Amino acid sequence: MNRLRGMGVVLAAAALMLTGCNANPANPGSSSQSAPPTKGGTLTILTSQTEISFDPAKSQSLAITSLGLVNRRLTTWEVAPNQPAQVVPDLATDTGTESDGGKTWTYTLKDNLKYADGTPITTTDIKYGLERSFAPELSGGLGYHKSLLAGADSYKGPYSGDQLASIQTPDQKTIVFKLNTPYGDWPWIASMPAFSPVPKAKDNPNTYGQKPEASGPYQVQSYTQGVSLNLSRNPSWDPATDSVRTAGPDQINFKLSQDTTVAAQSLIADSGEAKNSFGAQFVPAAQLAQAQSNPNVKDRLATSGPGALSYLAFNTQRGALKDVKVRRALEYAADRQAYLVAAGGTIAGEPATTLITPGIPGREPYDLYPAEPSGDPAKAKEMLAAAGHANDLNLTLVVANDSSTLAQAQALQQGFAKAGVKITLKPLDANTVTASVTGNDTNYDLYLGSWQPDFPSPNANIQPLFDSRQIGGGNYNISRYSNPEVDALIKKATGTVDPAESAKLWATADKMIMQDAPVIPLTYTKNSFLRGSNVRNFFIGAFPAYPNYLKVTLAQ
Amino acid sequence: MASVIATEPALEPSSGARQVARRLSADRGAVFGLVVVLVFVLAAVFAPLITAISGYGPYEYDLAALDDTGAPRGFGGGISREHWFGVEPLTGRDLFAVVIYGARTSLLVGVAATVVSVVLGVLIGIVAGYFGGWADRVLSRATDVVFGFPGLIFMIAVGAIIPPWFPKSLLIIVVIGFFGWPAIARVVRGQTLVLKQRNYVVASLAAGASATHLLFRQILPNLAATIIVFATISIPGKIGAEAALSFLGVGVPPPTPAWGRSIGEAINWVQTDPMFLFFPGAALFLVTLAFNLAGDGLRDALDPRSEGAGR
Repeated sequence: MNRLRGMGVVLAAAALMLTGCNANPANPGSSSQSAPPTKGGTLTILTSQTEISFDPAKSQSLAITSLGLVNRRLTTWEVAPNQPAQVVPDLATDTGTESDGGKTWTYTLKDNLKYADGTPITTTDIKYGLERSFAPELSGGLGYHKSLLAGADSYKGPYSGDQLASIQTPDQKTIVFKLNTPYGDWPWIASMPAFSPVPKAKDNPNTYGQKPEASGPYQVQSYTQGVSLNLSRNPSWDPATDSVRTAGPDQINFKLSQDTTVAAQSLIADSGEAKNSFGAQFVPAAQLAQAQSNPNVKDRLATSGPGALSYLAFNTQRGALKDVKVRRALEYAADRQAYLVAAGGTIAGEPATTLITPGIPGREPYDLYPAEPSGDPAKAKEMLAAAGHANDLNLTLVVANDSSTLAQAQALQQGFAKAGVKITLKPLDANTVTASVTGNDTNYDLYLGSWQPDFPSPNANIQPLFDSRQIGGGNYNISRYSNPEVDALIKKATGTVDPAESAKLWATADKMIMQDAPVIPLTYTKNSFLRGSNVRNFFIGAFPAYPNYLKVTLAQ
Repeated sequence: MASVIATEPALEPSSGARQVARRLSADRGAVFGLVVVLVFVLAAVFAPLITAISGYGPYEYDLAALDDTGAPRGFGGGISREHWFGVEPLTGRDLFAVVIYGARTSLLVGVAATVVSVVLGVLIGIVAGYFGGWADRVLSRATDVVFGFPGLIFMIAVGAIIPPWFPKSLLIIVVIGFFGWPAIARVVRGQTLVLKQRNYVVASLAAGASATHLLFRQILPNLAATIIVFATISIPGKIGAEAALSFLGVGVPPPTPAWGRSIGEAINWVQTDPMFLFFPGAALFLVTLAFNLAGDGLRDALDPRSEGAGR
């Protein structure tokens, strides 16, 4: 349920060439960014986050970013340049054996799996880790499994002494999941953070996120909230059991609370520690323009393919926006061209018309509201007049109070103004915006967001945003869109195990939802990240639109 | 400023408009300040007219003026015959129009907030000074408290909790004005303490004049010069405070142009497009400098000690 961005087809240029500018010329391999993995060095990751919790139950982290360095899961992702993402076994020996028509999934653990303290990893710990993700005090993590596991609706976590019967552990190496519906994408679900082992004896829901029992190649060495998080090697990690993590650097330090602009500027300058660093945030538009104009810096820029959907959500339960005719009219008024320029130009994305994003299997391109990239305000005006709202629309758009989001919001605002629609911006703290639109407060008309699917399936594009069960309560159906037909179709598509058949159903759902126009798809965003000149194997695969932390190494 | 000088003789009958004007015109700094202030005031008042001549409004996007990355095309941030100051990156909005319309925000907030703080400060200062006793003690302590209060932080906090229907510009005016009154209250109190010992005040009191009469007919007119000078000198501070709030992203909401917000955005672009920072920065610099120079000149011209022209 990552609100961030991208996914995509092919990572271009950035990967393969590098001028070797500041690298030590005596070192072989330093002239190529895709170098064979080397060991050693201290990697620094610059992030604007003020805290990082390694608690798997609370995490929305992708399998290939920070959490994946410390916590292994049953399955994980093999992400390589120019190749589609694959789900591969991690702690388990395979990606899962299905039975009962896709309603039961069985996993067996590999041999010689140990935590950092040397105790063996068991399936009991994985079961316990999953159970605690249901506890109300550990909410906020990716929760796809919560609606799929049988009998989990009323389950409230292990702290009251209950166990979840639909997860069975016949022995310490086997784990069986009983689902309430046949589900073909379960191997992807088993790569989510909550499928990491958590030993019951070490669990304290308040502090586990700061000192988790490491199963991956690194363990948390020290953590100062708002300042830094340092990871050191986990001596018990056995590379023979792990095919996806190369664990190059000896030490990985996260520098927290970094201003995105300052971080990008220091990576552009590339001196001192910045040489061994990369930025976890998207490069802001100003620095993106600067980086593109300098060939030495451009080589250190990694840009994803078009992926995550950025969209403008209508609150379909409020005022004039309840009327589908008004929403359809507004679809024509979106100025995608100005929006894209405000996001940083052509490197920042491509205009979007569908809800399922490019690169997701089963996507069918279509455009229900064809218009120029800059919109068709005349047509929008005409349709609004026909709907009885010729000039009286005054809508409130809640936006995060940062310059890039505000620039994008203003671009849309001027486009809507051409159609006679007044948009009032309400800039709020980013966390406040998320809390208010995902909560039960409905005091907004419009919301500007973007959605990166959590796994490469149309399910992850559509269900979290348009299933009526996802309205309020911290969920992301921000349009508050509720259509029983769509709900039924989502349910049917989720329960269809055959990939081709289910893809077809999702494509139908995609169009059916857009008929009701609960959102305006704006762009498929492309994300750009900067690295220092000593950082190697820093790339973005076809999915997701984020760099793969697990394979990054440093030139030695 | 012109209007302030024009009304000045009415408040200060004895010193004479001509005398003040003569002294002012002899002060080159003050003349420069007044001219610049006048130019900005005219620009703010006639902003729609000026941008009609220049061809672009502050809300119009000109994407053709930007390149593929969203940075302005061409020299100096896109300076051209169409765009006299170039364009804003990412939007293509005409920077000249943004600066001209930004003057509206800055001057409106600066002047209105000054009015709020002058009214409050004069009222509190004169009451404290004239009545003395417990009124003085209470008001003076209150002045000290507000004087030492971290106003900027309070403004940011208030901006975050205020309901969205409340007009943001009004909020900023009230808040900046509210934190500006203690300085003037102190000065007015001090002056009032001196004035109330003067013979004509004592005589009026002996003749049985009411407190209202004494305050508004005898003392206030004699404070006018002080108040005018003080108000002029405190305008740039208020403009700076508005710019600081906008810079921090809690000023007037976008897209209403504000110099502080433009400067805040331009900081990110300084390496690629320094002119984006230059124009709004220069405007803010010029207007604060001009108000300061004009205020200084006005003080010299109105000061009885400078040429012995008494009250």
